[in-house]
Amino acid sequence: MLISCTWLSELLGRPIDLSPVGEANDPFWAQNIAERLTSLGLEVEGIAYFELPKVIVGRVDAVSAHPDPKATKLNLVELFDGQASVQVVCGASNLPPVGGKVAFAPVGTTLPDGLELSARELRGVASHGMICSEAELDIGGDADGILVLPIDWEPGAELQDLVPGIRDAVIEISVTPNRPDALGHLGVARDLALALGCELQPPKLRSVADAPELPELVEVPASDRCPRYLGYALEGCTVGEAPLWLRTRLHRVGLRALNNVVDITNFVLMEVGQPMHAFDRARLAGERVVVRMAKPSEPITILDGSELELSTDDLVIADAESPQALAGVMGGAGSMVEAGTDRLLLEVAFFEPLAIRRSARRHGQHTDSSHRFERQVDYDAQLELAAGRALALLHDLCGATCVGRCDVRGPLPERAQIELDPAHVGRLLGMDVGPDEVARILSGLGVELDRSTEGAWLCHPPSYRPDLDRDVDLIEEVMRHHGLDDLPARHSVSPEQRVMLPEDPKRGLADALTDGLRARGLHEHVGLAFVAEALIAPVAAEFEPSQLVRPVNPMRSQQACMRPHLLPGLLDAVTYNHAHHARALALFEVGRIYRWPLSQPELQPSATSEVDPFLPDEPYRAAAIRVGQSQSKTGEVARALTDDLLACLARVGLHAQARPQAEPCAWLHPGIQAGLWIGPTRVGVVGELHPDVVAARDLSELELGYGELWLEALPQPPVVQFEDIARFPATTRDLSLDLDQRVSSHEVVAALAGAAASALSSGDDPPQLANADDPRQPIVLLEDYRGEGVEPGRHALLLRLNYRARSRSVTDAEVTAVHDAVVAGALATLAAIDPAARVR
Amino acid sequence: MAADAQQTPQQQLDEQLRSFEAALPDVADEPGLYELQVRFLGKNGAVTKLRRLMGKVPPSERKELGKAFNRVKQAMETHLATRAGELAAAARERDLARRVDLTFIPDPPRPGTLHPITQTRRELERVFRRLGFDVADGPHVEAELYSFDKLNILPDHPARDMQDTFFIERPTHLDHADAPALVLRPHTSPVQARTMLQHGAPVRIVAPGTTFRRDDDATHSPMFHQIEGLYVDRNVTMADLKATLYAFVEAFFGRGLGVRFRPSYFPFVEPGAEFDMQCPFCFDGQLSHGCGLCKQSGWIELGGSGMVHPAVFEHCGIDSSVYTGWAFGFGIDRMAMLRHGIPHLRHNFEGDLRVLEQFTSP
Repeated sequence: MLISCTWLSELLGRPIDLSPVGEANDPFWAQNIAERLTSLGLEVEGIAYFELPKVIVGRVDAVSAHPDPKATKLNLVELFDGQASVQVVCGASNLPPVGGKVAFAPVGTTLPDGLELSARELRGVASHGMICSEAELDIGGDADGILVLPIDWEPGAELQDLVPGIRDAVIEISVTPNRPDALGHLGVARDLALALGCELQPPKLRSVADAPELPELVEVPASDRCPRYLGYALEGCTVGEAPLWLRTRLHRVGLRALNNVVDITNFVLMEVGQPMHAFDRARLAGERVVVRMAKPSEPITILDGSELELSTDDLVIADAESPQALAGVMGGAGSMVEAGTDRLLLEVAFFEPLAIRRSARRHGQHTDSSHRFERQVDYDAQLELAAGRALALLHDLCGATCVGRCDVRGPLPERAQIELDPAHVGRLLGMDVGPDEVARILSGLGVELDRSTEGAWLCHPPSYRPDLDRDVDLIEEVMRHHGLDDLPARHSVSPEQRVMLPEDPKRGLADALTDGLRARGLHEHVGLAFVAEALIAPVAAEFEPSQLVRPVNPMRSQQACMRPHLLPGLLDAVTYNHAHHARALALFEVGRIYRWPLSQPELQPSATSEVDPFLPDEPYRAAAIRVGQSQSKTGEVARALTDDLLACLARVGLHAQARPQAEPCAWLHPGIQAGLWIGPTRVGVVGELHPDVVAARDLSELELGYGELWLEALPQPPVVQFEDIARFPATTRDLSLDLDQRVSSHEVVAALAGAAASALSSGDDPPQLANADDPRQPIVLLEDYRGEGVEPGRHALLLRLNYRARSRSVTDAEVTAVHDAVVAGALATLAAIDPAARVR
Repeated sequence: MAADAQQTPQQQLDEQLRSFEAALPDVADEPGLYELQVRFLGKNGAVTKLRRLMGKVPPSERKELGKAFNRVKQAMETHLATRAGELAAAARERDLARRVDLTFIPDPPRPGTLHPITQTRRELERVFRRLGFDVADGPHVEAELYSFDKLNILPDHPARDMQDTFFIERPTHLDHADAPALVLRPHTSPVQARTMLQHGAPVRIVAPGTTFRRDDDATHSPMFHQIEGLYVDRNVTMADLKATLYAFVEAFFGRGLGVRFRPSYFPFVEPGAEFDMQCPFCFDGQLSHGCGLCKQSGWIELGGSGMVHPAVFEHCGIDSSVYTGWAFGFGIDRMAMLRHGIPHLRHNFEGDLRVLEQFTSP
C-alpha cells in the first residue's frame, strides 16, 4: 500500500517535511513518519521522494509552423514564462490555442527521468526548453499529449506550488491481513495522530440527509451476503477529466486516472479504505439494482473485458435483467460510467468478507476492492463517512446532486465486547504499563471503555477494527503504541526449571551418520525434496507407482514428485559437478524420502491420531556417491564406499557385514553389489551403479559407486558390556584358497566360522578362532588376488586365522589339528557352490 | 700357535693385547665390538684360553701371570668400553644427520564437510539446548489442520495467503473417510501444535526443520529450513522472550548485540512482533553503523515472534487462563548465509563441490 505524505498531512492537519534530507529530531519529517509507521507495525518497504523544481506555467502567445517543410508535426511555440518570451519547438498535437496554459520546463530543468534540459536545435530551430506531458513530469500516466493547464493559472508560477501532491514523499507499507483499517490513508493517519499527539482532521463530507428516501432503488434478497447497502441516485453529473491535483494524487499511490467519477471512487478507496462503485443509472434495466446470488452459469463481462461464467456462490449486483457487477470484486462493462453519463447510482456497501474472497479466487480477480472487502471493511460510521466523502467530491467536481437514497440493512456483525483486566497487560508483556496509559491508547484508537467496574474493563472496539476480538488483541494495541523499546529482557522462569521431552532417536542417528560419512572425507549435499518423475525411473522397481507423493500444485514439472529415493538427487549433483569440473567427487546426503504406505495403517491411539495414520512414510536415508578417478573401471569405488558405510556404522557402535545379494538390486551392477547386514536385518545396499543407469545420465565415462543405509532398519546400538581381555597369545595360520570368482569372501568366512564352530566345540578349553586385534573378526582377509598363477574366472583368497585358548597357551600341534579340521570342513561346505574349491 | 710355544705366557698375553688393539679401530658397530669381545674374552676367546695355561706354569710364576692376565683383561675391557662409547656417539651423530622434508606433502588432506545449513542448524540446536530447550521435529507432509487451523489461521481467511502452500493429495488406494487434507508444511509451526497436543504444558522446545512454499526466485527456494521456539508455562512474558532472544544472539554471534521488536501480525501470536538484531558485521561494541549486509540500517531482520494466541492454546488443549507462552521463528538458510557470507541462495541446494568443500568445520 502506497501512502502519500501530502495526503497524511491533510488528515493530520500538520505540515510534513517532504524533503529527503530533514531534521533528524522532527517527528513530522517524512523519514521519521516512516520509522514511526514501522514501529507501529505498519512495516515500511521503502520511501520515494518526488519534487518538480523549475517546471512552471507557460502561456502560449503564438504558434507557427516549423520552417522545415518536412517537419510537419513540429510547431514553433512562443511562450511567456512570466518574465520573458521564449521559443520552444513542440511536437504535440493537442497544443492549446493562443492564451492557453501549458507545463513548461525551461533550460536547466532536470526532469524526473533524469534528463537535464539544455537549449538545442530541432531541425535547425533553437528550442529553449520543453512543453511537457503528465508522464514526462511523473504526475500522471498520460503520455499521449502535453499537459494543458487551466486557463486562469498565472504564467511563471511553479507547478508544484499550485498543485498539492506534486511534491510528495510516498511511503510503501506492507499491511498485514489483520489491519483492513490501514488499507486507507485515514486509518494510517488515525494511528499516527495518536502516536504523534495531534487531532485527526476528518475530510470534507456532504450530507444528503435531506434527499428523499428511494426504497425502490436497491433490493437486497441476499442480505446475509450483503448486510448493508447504501445506494444513492445522482443527477446532473458531468463526466470529464478530474482536476490535476486528484489525478496526481492517484498517480502517486499507483492508480491510473480514468474519468472524474471513477477517479473519485478510487480516491475515496485510497482515502477511507472503502471500495465503492458508480453505475450509469440510465444503462441499468429498471434503473435499479438487485443484490442477489448469481444464477447457474450466468455470464458477465467485467470492466477489464473478461467474460466470466458465474456460480451460484457468486454475489452479483444485477439490474432488472442481468448482473452488472461481480459484487465486491469488479464492475460490469454494461453499466460503466463514461463520457456522456449524467445519472449515477452510487454503491457503498458492506459484503460478507469470506464470500468475496471465494469469488475473487474463483475468478482469479484479486482487485483493490476484493482485497479490502475480504479483509472486512466497516459497516457503520466509516461506511457512511466514505459515502459522504464521495458525495461531496461528486458534487464539487462533477456537479452531481443526490436525488434519492436508500440504506438497506441485513444481519450486521455483532460488535465485539471485550473484558480487559488492565493489570493483565503488564503481566503478558512483562513490563509495567499503568491503567491510565492503557486507557489513553485504547480510547485514542476509538475503543469505548467502561472503567466503572472493579477489575476488568468492558471494551467496545470501533467497527472499523474487526481484528480486535479478544483481550490479547487490545494488549497488542497497547504494545504497538506504548512501544517495546523499554521492554526489559527478563527471564520469568529460571532456565534450570526445564522440561525434558522424549526425542526422536532417528534424528540423533541421522546426525551421527552424517558425522561418520563426513569423517570419511565425503561432502554433505542438501538436495531439494522434489524430483522429476522421469528421473525416478531407475529406482522405480523399489516401490509401487501409487506410493509416490505428489504435490497437487507443483511449481514445475521437474518438481512433480516428492523424492522416493536419494539416488536421483545425488546423480543430479554428480551431473552438475561433472559439467563444471571433472574431479574426484564424493558426496553424501542424509535426509528423508517420501512414500505412501501400501495400505492404510491401523489407527494407533494418540493425541495426534486424527492425522498421523493418514500421512505418508518419511523414513531417513543416508546415501553416498563416489566417482572413481582411474582410467579403467576397477570396482574400487564401490569397495571404497562399502568401507565408508561399514566404518560409518561402526562409528555409531553398529557392526555390519557386507554380504552377497540374494536378489540383486536392479539399478546396481549385477556383479558389483552387496547388501549391508546387521545380524538378521538388511540395513542397506552398496555397489557400482548399473551401466544403464549411468548411461541414462550421460555419465558412462565415470565409475560411480553408490550406497545407502536405511535408518528405519538400523537397530539401537547396544550398550557394550565388558568382556575379559585375552591373556594368552594367539597362534596364526595363513590359508590360501583357489576359488571361483563368484564365491565371495563372506561365504568363505562363513564356511570357516561354521566349520570352526562344529570342529572346536568339544574338549576342555580347546583352541578357538580368535583375533587379538578385533575380537569380532577372528578371520582376517589379507588378499583377493586375480592374475598370474590363477585361472581366469577364479581368484585366490588369502586369509589369516587366529587360534587361542581361554586359559592356557596352545601348542603348535593341537592348532594344526584343529586348523586342518576347520579347512576341511569349510571346503566341504564351499563345494556346494564351487566343487573345484581347493587349498593353494 | 707353534711359534707361540717359544713365547712365555706373559709374552703371549701382550701379543694378544697388541693384536686386540690393532683390531679395535676397524670395529664399526656394536655387533663388531661384541664379536671382538667374544674373540678375546669369550668362553673360547684367545685370552680365556691363555688363562687355562695357569695350571701349567710353576706355582712361583702363577701370581705374576695372574696379575698380567688381569692387566690385559682390564685393558681390553677399558678399550671395549671406550670404543662402545665412541660408536654410540657416532651412531647418534649419524641419527641426527638424517634429513626428511616434512613440508613435502604430495597429497594434502581433503577433509569431508558438513553443509552450511547442517552446521548452522546444529549450532542453533546446541545453543538452544544450553538454554534449556528440547529439540522436536515433525512430518514434512502435514495436515492442514495442524499447519493452519490449530494455529488460528482459519479457512478462507486472507492470512492463508501469507504463504503460498503446496497441497498433497492422498492416492486412491488409501481412500479413507476420515483422512484430513494434507499440505507440505509451509512453516515448522505444526510442530508447536503437535508438541502441545502430545505433551501439554509446560513445554519448552525448538523445532528446526525443512519447510516448503510455492516461491522460487533469487531470494526464495520452494524448499527451505526454519527453526521455531515455543515456551509455555505459567507467567511467561514478552520480556522473557526478549531475554531468550538476547541470550541466543549472544551465544550464536558471541557479542553484546541488541535485539529489538517491531509490532507485526502472525495469526498464531497476539501480540505479535518481528524481531531484529543489531548487525554483527558493522558492530563496534555499542552500535551498528550500517553496512551492505544490513542495507545501512544497522539491523538485521531475523524473524517473527509473539505471545501464543489464546485460540491456539484452546485448539491444542491448553488452558489459556492458566498458561501463557511465546513463540518465535526464523529461517536457518538465511542465518547460514549470513554466518558464512554466502551471497546467493542458489548455492544452497545445487551440490556444487567447489562450494561444499569450502565449509570445513570442527
